[in-house]
Amino acid sequence: MGFREINSKMIEATVAPGQKLFSQRGAMLAYKGEVSFTPNVMGGQGGVMSMIGRRVANEDTPLMTVEGNGTVLFGHGGHHIEVINLSGDTLYVEADRLLAFEGTLRQSTVFLGSQGGVMGMVRGQVSGQGLFTTSLTGHGAVAVMAHGGVIELPITPGRPVHVDPQAYVAHHGDVRNKLSTALGWRDMVGRGSGEAFQLELSGSGAVYVQASEEKL
Amino acid sequence: MSTYGTAPGAGPAVYDPVTLPSDDNVDPYTFCVELKGNQWFLQKGKMIAYYGSVEFNGIGHGRLDRLVRTSFHSPLHASDWVVAEGSGKMLLADRAFDVNAYDLDEGNLTIRSGNLLAFQPSLSLKQSIVPGFLTLIGTGKFVAASNGPVVFMEPPVRVDPQALVGWADCPSPCHHYDHGYMTGVMGGLRALTGLGGTSGEEHQFEFVGAGTVLMQSSEELMPELDTGATPQQAGVPGAGMSGGHGQGPGTPRLPGQLGDLQRRFGL
Repeated sequence: MGFREINSKMIEATVAPGQKLFSQRGAMLAYKGEVSFTPNVMGGQGGVMSMIGRRVANEDTPLMTVEGNGTVLFGHGGHHIEVINLSGDTLYVEADRLLAFEGTLRQSTVFLGSQGGVMGMVRGQVSGQGLFTTSLTGHGAVAVMAHGGVIELPITPGRPVHVDPQAYVAHHGDVRNKLSTALGWRDMVGRGSGEAFQLELSGSGAVYVQASEEKL
Repeated sequence: MSTYGTAPGAGPAVYDPVTLPSDDNVDPYTFCVELKGNQWFLQKGKMIAYYGSVEFNGIGHGRLDRLVRTSFHSPLHASDWVVAEGSGKMLLADRAFDVNAYDLDEGNLTIRSGNLLAFQPSLSLKQSIVPGFLTLIGTGKFVAASNGPVVFMEPPVRVDPQALVGWADCPSPCHHYDHGYMTGVMGGLRALTGLGGTSGEEHQFEFVGAGTVLMQSSEELMPELDTGATPQQAGVPGAGMSGGHGQGPGTPRLPGQLGDLQRRFGL
């Protein structure tokens, strides 16, 4: 199980009976064997309540369930793909960046205000995440899409990482993030450096950054 | 990318007519064709630079009639192709797609028409039965582009139509509809109400038999760009007078109209 990277824009997943896979709708490129793709009305795991939660939180990216026996190739829109293997910790990522993830992972929606109150909400607005983001917990692999290549920056205690909110893709581990601002009078008169807002991540874990400031 | 001549830390590689590779990739996104008095078919707008004296003639030109008769059997696409001849080196590229050359030896290969950049006249081009695809038959070299590196698959395989670049030697490309999706209780409900949406994967191209299927990593095709027009930029001579191409959306400009001024005043 897991995802195999074929090239920077394509992954191969093996589906075996009894194992489920969730992927973004329309992201299948090709498959071998007997595999079925069922649109997931709920938009992911959990019951009706999770579905309503996702709808409210605007994290309801159309997903489909992939089941059967065979291999499937995934890719979408020519975006670069990064495979992240989780072993027990939690990955925070925007739902529309999710290309595919294994059914062994637990998906839930997180209110950003719960991580740092009002500043959390401001941070969500600035980084384009909105007020909510999606978290995946457990053991399994996740394929995340990004514009341009992805680099992983480790975060260790005492060494916080500053990230451009537009280049932020995802993070995992025990990480606190806060928005640091460097606003000055120059920004007020329109002569700012363009880097007034940064995302400061501290704790232990890793953050994934894309080599572009363009959204998906 | 450092496999293409640029050592890490060194500056960009500078090429001249001698150091440019002959019929090979310059980098993953550019291909260099060497012309020594021979001819190449070329899709319009895919040539980005050339050294030497190369002549580009549209197809349907009287002198090229014989060549077209022997190796170009696709009148639908005739307006998109030119013949390059002369001597020199010519660089081909397409929308920053990955570019590669392939050799056919008494073979056949079918490719999406937008992905084929150039081919030698020893190959003959025909329209495929599948709309939007072209078939090359014979012996020779052709250059094709793909969004991301091309992935080769062995049949039996089912491929999303948008991810398909082409196929070689496959006798039976056919449509495959996922019937299971429309049956059952939920499927019946979906079919009746239209609720629940589609997975987007009900329809694939299915390949069986011996052969190779070529795929690109992306499902999204970049929009086909108008070619042949001067870019609408300041400082480009002829910009704004491109004769039908490059005009913004809306009604076609008629002779005697005021053009931009008129539009600016909302007339």
